[in-house]
Amino acid sequence: MSNIEVNGAKILLELPFGISITETQVNMWLVMAAIAAVCAWLTHGLKVRPTSKRQIIAEYIVKTAENFVTGNMGARWKWFTPYIAALFSLAMFSSLISLLGMYPPTSDLNTTMGWALMTFVLITFYKIKTNGPLGYAKSLTEPIFIMTPMNILGEIATPISMAFRMFGNVASGTVVSLLVYAALAAANNALFGWLPGILGEMAGKLPILQLGVPAILSLYFDVFSGVLQAFIFCMLTMLYIASAAETSD
Amino acid sequence: MIIMAGTLDFLSINVWHILMAIGNLLILVLILKKFLFKPVQKILKEREEEIGKTYSDADKALSEANAEKELYLKKLDDAKSEADNMIKTASERAKAESAEIISDARAEAERRRRNADEDIELAKKKAADEMRDSISEMVISLAEQVVEKEIDPKAHESLIDDAIESLGE
Repeated sequence: MSNIEVNGAKILLELPFGISITETQVNMWLVMAAIAAVCAWLTHGLKVRPTSKRQIIAEYIVKTAENFVTGNMGARWKWFTPYIAALFSLAMFSSLISLLGMYPPTSDLNTTMGWALMTFVLITFYKIKTNGPLGYAKSLTEPIFIMTPMNILGEIATPISMAFRMFGNVASGTVVSLLVYAALAAANNALFGWLPGILGEMAGKLPILQLGVPAILSLYFDVFSGVLQAFIFCMLTMLYIASAAETSD
Repeated sequence: MIIMAGTLDFLSINVWHILMAIGNLLILVLILKKFLFKPVQKILKEREEEIGKTYSDADKALSEANAEKELYLKKLDDAKSEADNMIKTASERAKAESAEIISDARAEAERRRRNADEDIELAKKKAADEMRDSISEMVISLAEQVVEKEIDPKAHESLIDDAIESLGE
């Protein structure tokens, strides 16, 4: 049985003041660069009368994103579309990057925590903007004063649950894949290792059982889960912010 | 700056990394705005304007065409009534002219008939005069032979004429 070690992101660069650059940041930059490149490629040479498939795809993406945001938040939030689009694309491709065997930035709690804190800041900002600072403070003491700690906990729980939901899904996918892979290696060794002599040694090391199963697991944990979690994160962000900006009366 | 090989713990919190995640997200927002949303929205707006312009142009052209159609219909009507008028006056004039021609012809015919009648009357009279002269000469010569005496035509002229008159015409 091999030793299984579950680690976080590799530290690639250590800078002063405790700043370090890890795989998380580098991979996220790669994702961002790829998204930027694709966007620039899709939107170069746009024409009023479209002649290229690229333009149709670009317009489709923009319209779909706008409909997604206005459908969930209302027409007055149309300006918010780029934020949701950035959040969705960054979260989704940061998870999907694991298909290339790279470390997914979304399996780093710092990433998802950062995005969730961003959502929390926006929620709180719109609550204060809509109800006024006093109204916001008062809403924390409702329905009775004694509930104040509970309400504050509830406020804080929102970003934490969002951060851990995404992190947990992506990171657990990595962990489960790792465990299954190790288990299959052990089973492979046990199944073919009894063959006599050098044949057994070789067959035991050949990854025969590891061929199919991890691919199916990866389909769920990397593709389905990655897309779904990005979607859920965006939906929650939109719904929380839209309801925060709604006048309570 | 130290390049280091090491790993973070599976579950670790690092304020700098959190800030970098937020910063990355905001940078991507700007990237998407600049490279995707702004250009596409610009082109969509331009297209909307072009479509609006096309529609208004079409409406304008249609109303112009309708106005011209009205004008042509009116002109056509005018031309029709004018043509009717012309035909009417022409036929009236033709009628009047034909009536005039016919009446002229009638008058001419009447005049000629009258002339002919007069000629006939004249000829008749002349013939009758000649006949009377020859008859009176014949009667005189006959009477001369009967009375064997010359009759002075001058003296008996009125007598003979009376006789011939009574013979009738």
